[in-house]
Amino acid sequence: MASGMLSFDQVPPLAAPLRFFVTAPLFIALAGLLAVIDGPAILASRWTPAALAATHLLTVGFMLQVMLGALIQVLPVVAGAALARPLWVARVVHPAINLGALALAGGFLWSAPGWLHAAGTLLALALLVFVGAAGSALFRVPSTSPSIRGLKLSLVGLAVVGGSGLFMLLALAGGWSLPLLALADLHAAWGLAGWAGVLLAAVAYVVVPMFQLTPGYAARPAWGFPVFLFAVLLAWSAALAFDADWPARLGRLLLAAGGAAFAVQTLRLQAKRRRARPDTTFRYWQFGLYGALLALAMLAAGALVPALADDPRWTPAFGLVLLLGAFVPLIVGMLAKIVPFLLWLDLQNHGLVGKALPPMNKLLPEAPMQRQFQVFVAAAGLALLAVLLPDWLSRPAGVLLIAAAVWLAVNLLQAAWRHGRQLQQAPA
Amino acid sequence: MDIPAERTVDARYLEPPQPFVDTMEMLATLQPGEEMLLLLFREPHPLYRVLQQNGHRWRTELRDDGTFAVRITC
Repeated sequence: MASGMLSFDQVPPLAAPLRFFVTAPLFIALAGLLAVIDGPAILASRWTPAALAATHLLTVGFMLQVMLGALIQVLPVVAGAALARPLWVARVVHPAINLGALALAGGFLWSAPGWLHAAGTLLALALLVFVGAAGSALFRVPSTSPSIRGLKLSLVGLAVVGGSGLFMLLALAGGWSLPLLALADLHAAWGLAGWAGVLLAAVAYVVVPMFQLTPGYAARPAWGFPVFLFAVLLAWSAALAFDADWPARLGRLLLAAGGAAFAVQTLRLQAKRRRARPDTTFRYWQFGLYGALLALAMLAAGALVPALADDPRWTPAFGLVLLLGAFVPLIVGMLAKIVPFLLWLDLQNHGLVGKALPPMNKLLPEAPMQRQFQVFVAAAGLALLAVLLPDWLSRPAGVLLIAAAVWLAVNLLQAAWRHGRQLQQAPA
Repeated sequence: MDIPAERTVDARYLEPPQPFVDTMEMLATLQPGEEMLLLLFREPHPLYRVLQQNGHRWRTELRDDGTFAVRITC
């Protein structure tokens, strides 16, 4: 290994994470398709069947899928914690999460207990296998960096959001009498802040400086941020359980303040980056970080002035800004770097060198990704405006969202195809 | 003991795989027992694996500005 080749036995095979990245965009397209079919009804309330289905197509079908695929790759590189059998885990989790997300959306859409049961079984299988495999690798290594601490906490967050989700599915399918509204708030907060938010920060600590050539995240806040989010989530959950109004509102304010501090810090790091030209990842992250600030401002405003939520448009607008304005673009921005990097690494590991080894930006070129980004921004903007003018804009927003998602899938598939073509030139 | 600048790889604004390549190249110039310093904004776990396989020792410190300073003994 003294040759300077970047090849190590801990890196999982490319096929393990790549399958998640290629199928995930189709769930954004399905959410767009629901908007086209259901039109204004999808934005009428957070609780309509179409809104619940679309929310879970985005959060489970897209976000969770990409995050699980990425973690298979990230754990050995960021934490030195390789899964024991990454390809086996991928082969079980990938179909289970895809079919589970489809069944979940179908179950919400048609209020069908059978579909909800199927979704619960498939998603429980996916999460048990993943949390078991990732947890046994991750909890063996010491927390020597803020990223490792964040990854461990996020896995706990995943167990909470998965467990609470499965519990609610059983309740819905079985017609149990439970305070579902409060449970849904808990489920959403643990999913978005405890799992997705903490994971995003833990991975950002590594990939933002690495791929965007920014300074590093200062150590002290980086250690503290995931723990702060977790502590606030726990206190806020207790406040909800005891029906304590003002502590629950204070919890939301603190979550908003913590998230905003992370977003502002990342924007400041990006302002000091050493890469002259803004690439697609940078643009997606700028968009996502400003979207996150808007969503967190709405969260804080809702905590200070609860009457805002009396307007039925408030919560769908908040959800759209948080998902299409923040989480989805931040994740797509990471994909735009991680996918070509993994393809390139795989080619190198197959012995391609010199001219036979194409640079990363030839595997996933900038130009089509930049145009895809513009369509995505138009889709997200139109979706937000559709909250104000649902009759006019919900269907066009859905069409644009489908276009952005399909284009993303095509770009990623083309990159995989270029990798395959190049691989044919590899020495035997 | 401070490590001289000529035995430091400051890889904080380099894209992968350059930090890895530069570190392996510098290690190849060192005598057994000599030390080098690698500066990065992340903990280089894949590099640790290779260092371990090649019998090198290392010690990592996270500085306040987010720099991981990895002291590697050849």
